[in-house]
Amino acid sequence: MNARVLDFAIKYGFLILLAIMVIYFSLAAPGFSSPRSAVFVLQSVAITGILALGVTATLVVDGFDLSIGAVATSALMLSAYSMVILEHSAVVAVILCLAMGAIVGLINGLLIVKFRVPDLLATLGMMFLLIGLQRIPTQGNSIATGMALGNGDVAEGAFSPAFLWLGRHRFDLFIERLVPMPVIIFLIVAIMIWLFLGYTRHGRLMYAIGSNERAAGLVGAPVNRYKVVAYMISGVTAAIGGILLAARLGRGDIASGNNLLLDSVAAALIGFAVLGAARPNAFGTAIGALFVGILLQGMTMMNAPYYTQDFVKGAVLVAALVFTFYLSSRRSGPGH
Amino acid sequence: MLRRHFIAFTAAAVTALSAGTASADMPAPFDNPEEVSIALVRYLSTGDFFQAYLSGVESQAAALGVDLRVFDSRQDAALQADMVDQAIALNVDGIIIQHGLTESMKEAAQRAVDAGIKVVAFDVNVENEAIPQIEQSDYLLGRMALDQALADNGNAFTAGYVYVPGIAPLDRRDVAWKEVQAENPDITEAAVFGTLDNPIANSVANQARAVLQANPTINVVFAPYDEFAKGVKIAVDEAGLTDDIDIYSADISTADISAMREPGSAWVTTVATNPAVVGEVSVRALALMLAGDNPGASVVVPPTLITQDFLNEQDIKNMDDLGAKMPQFQHADVAMADWMPLPAR
Repeated sequence: MNARVLDFAIKYGFLILLAIMVIYFSLAAPGFSSPRSAVFVLQSVAITGILALGVTATLVVDGFDLSIGAVATSALMLSAYSMVILEHSAVVAVILCLAMGAIVGLINGLLIVKFRVPDLLATLGMMFLLIGLQRIPTQGNSIATGMALGNGDVAEGAFSPAFLWLGRHRFDLFIERLVPMPVIIFLIVAIMIWLFLGYTRHGRLMYAIGSNERAAGLVGAPVNRYKVVAYMISGVTAAIGGILLAARLGRGDIASGNNLLLDSVAAALIGFAVLGAARPNAFGTAIGALFVGILLQGMTMMNAPYYTQDFVKGAVLVAALVFTFYLSSRRSGPGH
Repeated sequence: MLRRHFIAFTAAAVTALSAGTASADMPAPFDNPEEVSIALVRYLSTGDFFQAYLSGVESQAAALGVDLRVFDSRQDAALQADMVDQAIALNVDGIIIQHGLTESMKEAAQRAVDAGIKVVAFDVNVENEAIPQIEQSDYLLGRMALDQALADNGNAFTAGYVYVPGIAPLDRRDVAWKEVQAENPDITEAAVFGTLDNPIANSVANQARAVLQANPTINVVFAPYDEFAKGVKIAVDEAGLTDDIDIYSADISTADISAMREPGSAWVTTVATNPAVVGEVSVRALALMLAGDNPGASVVVPPTLITQDFLNEQDIKNMDDLGAKMPQFQHADVAMADWMPLPAR
C-alpha cells in the first residue's frame, strides 16, 4: 500500500501540484483563468522552453551546455546585424543564425570529444567568448534602425516584417489573434525533440551513452559523433530561441543571456521529476518550463515583487530535485 | 554665437593637434595639453548609456588634447578601488570616478586627493568635499515625465509602475513618483512590478502582460528606465491596448526613438539627459579644477523632455538628429569657461 502511494506520488506528484497551482491562481488572481492568460503563459515560456529542450539533449548524453544563453543573445545580435546593417532579408538572417548555432554546437562538441575538455569548462569558455564576440562588431552598442555607424553613415536597414512575424504573429484559434507564433514553434520543437529522443534509435543510443558511455561504445555506438550531435542540437535550438527573442524585441539588444541560461536549466531539471522519469526528457522539460511560467504569471498578477519570484523558482527547483533524486531512488531500492 | 566660435576653434584645434600648437589660449596646465593625463575609472560599462558616456568623455578629452586612460572594473567594486591606486601610481593629473559603491570608493578617492590629484565623481557619492559630484538629475527625470503624464491625463488616472528597489538611479526616480502620488491622491497605483533579468525588455514584457491582464483599468504606465518602457510597450502591443495606455519613461537611445515613433506607439514621452553630454561635462569639470577653478560641489546636467509628437513633427530618426533639432540635448551649458574647447559636432 505504502509503496503504491509513493509510486503514485512520484509519478503524478508534480502534475497534481501544477493543477493545484492553476486552481489556486484562478481563484486568487482576477483574469488568470482566461484563454488569453493561458496563451500569455505559453508565450512567456516559449523562448526559455526552446532553450531548455536544447539543454535536455545535452543532458541526455550526460553533458551540459552553459553556452546556450550566450548563443541565444548572439543570434539576437546576429539577426539584427544582418538585417539592419547588412540589409539582408529575413530568410538570410534566419539561416545565418541557425548556422551560427550549429557551428557553435559543433565547436563545443569537438572541444569536448576531441580535445577532452570537460563539458562545463568548454561551454563556459564558449559562453564568455560569445558574450564578447557579439559586441565586437558594434563596439558594445545595441543595434537599431537609424543607428550611427562608425564611418558617419546611418544604418538604413530594418527588421523585415517577415522576421517580426516569427515573433509577433498570432493565429486565430476560436478567439481572434490568440496563439502567437513562438508558441507554435515551441510546440513543434518540443514534439520533434520528444519524438527524436524517445522514439528513434538515435535517441535511445543517446540515452545509452548518457547512462554508460563505455558500455555504449563497446557495443559499437559512435559515442563521439552522438555527443557532437547533441551539442549541435543544443546550439541550433538556442539560436531558434534567439531568433524569436529578436523578433519579439525588434532590435539587437546586448545582453549576456545568463538569465535565459539559468531559467532553461531550471526547466530541464524540473523536468526530471515529471512522471517520475528521473532522467532528462523532452516532455518533462516542456512541463517544467510551463510550471515555472504559470507560477511567475500568477505571482505577477498578484503583485508579488520580483525577489519573491526568484525565491519561489528556487524552491520549486529544490523540490523537484528531491523528487528526482531521493524519492525515485527509494522506489527503485538501494543499489540503483 | 560664443558656441559657434568654440566650434570653429575646436575644429582648428583638432586639425592642429598633431602639431601640438592647439593650446595657445588655454591656461596652465593646458598650455601643454599633451603632458596632461586623466583617468576614467569605471564601475559600469555595458550598455548604450555607458557606451555613449565614454564617447562623450573621449571627445571632450580629445578637444582638450589631453591623454585619456580608461580603466574598466566591470562591476567589480574592489577592482575599481585598485584601479584608482593604479591611476595614482601612473601619476595622472586627474581622475573621473564613474559609478561605484560609496563604501569601496571613499577611501580610494581620498588617497587620490591626498596624492594631489584632482578628482570628480559621476553618479557615486564618495563623501569628500574636495570631489565635485557630476549628476544627471534622476529626480528631475522622473518628475518631468510625471508632470507630462499629469498634463496629458489629468490628476486622476490608474497607473502601473515599473520599479526595482535598491538600484540607486531608480530609487531617486522613485522619489518623484512618491511625491506625485502624495500630491495627487486621485492617482491609483494598481500594480508595481519590474525585474532586471536580462534581456530586461523581454522579462518586463512577460510581467507587464500579466499585470495588464489582471488590471484592465490601467491607462498610464510609469516606467522610468527605457528598458522597462520597451518591455511594457511590447506587452501593450501584444495585448492590443496601444490606444488605451500611455507609457511615460526616462532615458533615450536610437532604438528608443524608433520604438516611440512606431505608428500608434503607446510610448508617448521620455525625459533624458544625453549620456555623451554627461561624459563631456565630467571632463570639463575636471579640466576646470586642473586649471585652478572650482566647478562647485555639485554639477547637475539638466534633463530634456522628449515627446512622441516632437519626434514625429521633426522627423527625428536617431540620436544625432535629436541633438541637431534639440540643441539643449546636444550641449549642456555647465562646467564651462571662456577658454574651454568643445568637441566638434
